[in-house]
Amino acid sequence: MIVNRVTVLGNKDHGKSTLIGSLLIETGSVSEQRIDDAKRTSRKLGRRFEPGYILDSFEEERLNEMTIDTTRAQVRYKEAGFEFIDVPGHEELIKNMLSGASYADFALLLVSVKQGEGITSQTKRHLFVAKMLGIRKLVVAVNKLDAVGYSREAFEEVSDGVGRYLARIGFPSENVRFVPISAYNAENLVRPSKAMGWYRGRCLIEVLAGVARLAARPTGRNTIIQIQGVSEDSNTAVFGRVVSGSLTRGSRITIFPSGKRAKVAGLLVSGRSKKIAGRGDVVTLELDSPVGPDIKGSVASDSDTACVSSSKINALLLNTTGLNKDASIRINGIRVRCRKVSVKDEVDVSTGECVPSDRIKPLNAGHVELILEEKVAVDLFERTPEIGRFVFYSGKEFSGIGIVTG
Amino acid sequence: MDDRMIKQDLNKLEERSIYVMREAKSNFKKVAALWSMGKDSTTMLALARQAFHGKVPFPVIHIDNGIDFPETYEFRERLAKKWNLDLIVEKSEIKPEMSGFACCGANKTVALRKVLDRYGFDALIVSIRRDEHGIRAKERVFSPRDKNFKWNYKNQVAEIWGDYSSEKEADGHVRVHPLLDWNEVDIWNYIKREKVPMNPLYFSRDGYRYRSLGCTHCTTPVKSGAADINHIIRELEKTKIEERQGRDQDKEKAFVMEKLRALGYM
Repeated sequence: MIVNRVTVLGNKDHGKSTLIGSLLIETGSVSEQRIDDAKRTSRKLGRRFEPGYILDSFEEERLNEMTIDTTRAQVRYKEAGFEFIDVPGHEELIKNMLSGASYADFALLLVSVKQGEGITSQTKRHLFVAKMLGIRKLVVAVNKLDAVGYSREAFEEVSDGVGRYLARIGFPSENVRFVPISAYNAENLVRPSKAMGWYRGRCLIEVLAGVARLAARPTGRNTIIQIQGVSEDSNTAVFGRVVSGSLTRGSRITIFPSGKRAKVAGLLVSGRSKKIAGRGDVVTLELDSPVGPDIKGSVASDSDTACVSSSKINALLLNTTGLNKDASIRINGIRVRCRKVSVKDEVDVSTGECVPSDRIKPLNAGHVELILEEKVAVDLFERTPEIGRFVFYSGKEFSGIGIVTG
Repeated sequence: MDDRMIKQDLNKLEERSIYVMREAKSNFKKVAALWSMGKDSTTMLALARQAFHGKVPFPVIHIDNGIDFPETYEFRERLAKKWNLDLIVEKSEIKPEMSGFACCGANKTVALRKVLDRYGFDALIVSIRRDEHGIRAKERVFSPRDKNFKWNYKNQVAEIWGDYSSEKEADGHVRVHPLLDWNEVDIWNYIKREKVPMNPLYFSRDGYRYRSLGCTHCTTPVKSGAADINHIIRELEKTKIEERQGRDQDKEKAFVMEKLRALGYM
């Protein structure tokens, strides 16, 4: 089933796994067997049953009551299907958080309203990262209302705080919704809460369904095909994926960064012959001239100006480990080494402030100029996200993500 | 769900699987796939044929403990011939006192390691799905294993924006999971649409059918009158019972699946 993929963000212990567990139970989306298993495990551990146990299935996760790695849970509600991607809230697990959140169609942020919890630097970092990942729709669930006597003021205080931070980082406010809930008591999730009579809005699941219907993530209009490689059987059959626009059989294409031109004599979509391929389609291009295996990582377009071939990239980089000498990026499915990384400024992710700097502290972001060892096909992230973003490595180690700004 | 939604969903799922298998082929030197003759790995082979001009362009491995069902062996021979598969059968030893963890873990893993060493495969396509088990929900599409087959699940690789890094440790290999996003009912809808040949054990006989297939020692059939694909699909849309309830290995201990996977079991 293809469903709306929703990444669940928020500080550790603000109740992400509990919320997803409760939603699974409330909507009847989980088998009784799985609930029983989780109950048995909590008994074995001598603990009170906690809906989050349905999700945290690594032994260590249940013992330590924290999510280590991304997990996914499908919730069905009326005509809508959601896949909740639960990500770890701990800072040191940001790699796993990014891995889960990058697949999402939109985000669900949890903020606990409980005394001493509230909006934290981790809450803000998750929002900043969500925006960098290209997420443009957001539902904010203000959680643990039961711990503050279902106070409307407490809900509004947290909502306003989140709203102010979103405005500071330029997140489009028309695509943001706020809902007061208690995940543990399953209040305002699927059934309205009597204790929150002052809340006139819809329950969380309905709000999610509404946001799912808002316009999808932005995408460019140019025809862009990321090339995966060439067939073993034929050096004129090229495998790729249409990431924006569409392509018709018979078109003349330019391949970036090589500049090679060819004609698309035959076109297959998922292995079936077609006249036209659209966004998302996995294609085979049967060209009128052969290509070599080094075509992997190239981009094809029916326009000469759809993207550029460049070895110099300006980008906003979220750096997770600190910068060292042996830097490389993965873009369009290939790895390219950096000759030089120059830092222009640093953004304090928790405040959104940008200050001139020649270094980026781990877990912060900054603007950088990358000089690559070879040319790559690239476009601005805002225009064609799929070829305007990269994963950053220091040596073999994952070290962050970047989006192309110039 | 109506037919139009099913078609859209299947097209999307098919696309993702084809994309993943093509990434595997262009990233690794020697790719192989595990084939248990079950519905998932057989669907994976059908998808590979769709991705690579009607042929499966990698060897398929059956780890044979000698106690699979006769129907399963018959199905293996029939399909291997029909689809011209490059089939590698590796016998694994089975001892009467072994069951569950010891059997699936020790026996199958030892045999699989032998195959990978002998042929030097650096990537292994495995047809697991996220909806099968809580642990499987945590898997990556490209998931490295070290030389002892260990899955380092506490420190998994980054997999951001669908970028699958093919980095692996020396002497290790990468598990490739093209079916992670599929659900059980998606598999059956695809089998129906593409007329994928299937092991007859999945269809009801005398009021029972196999919903998930392992070997004869660890698999029990479920009560079902579903004798054809349409009936199976209708049944799955209603059921609240887990697919693998007939598989002993999941129930023995709370964390047995996790241990098996860390050891290298699929």
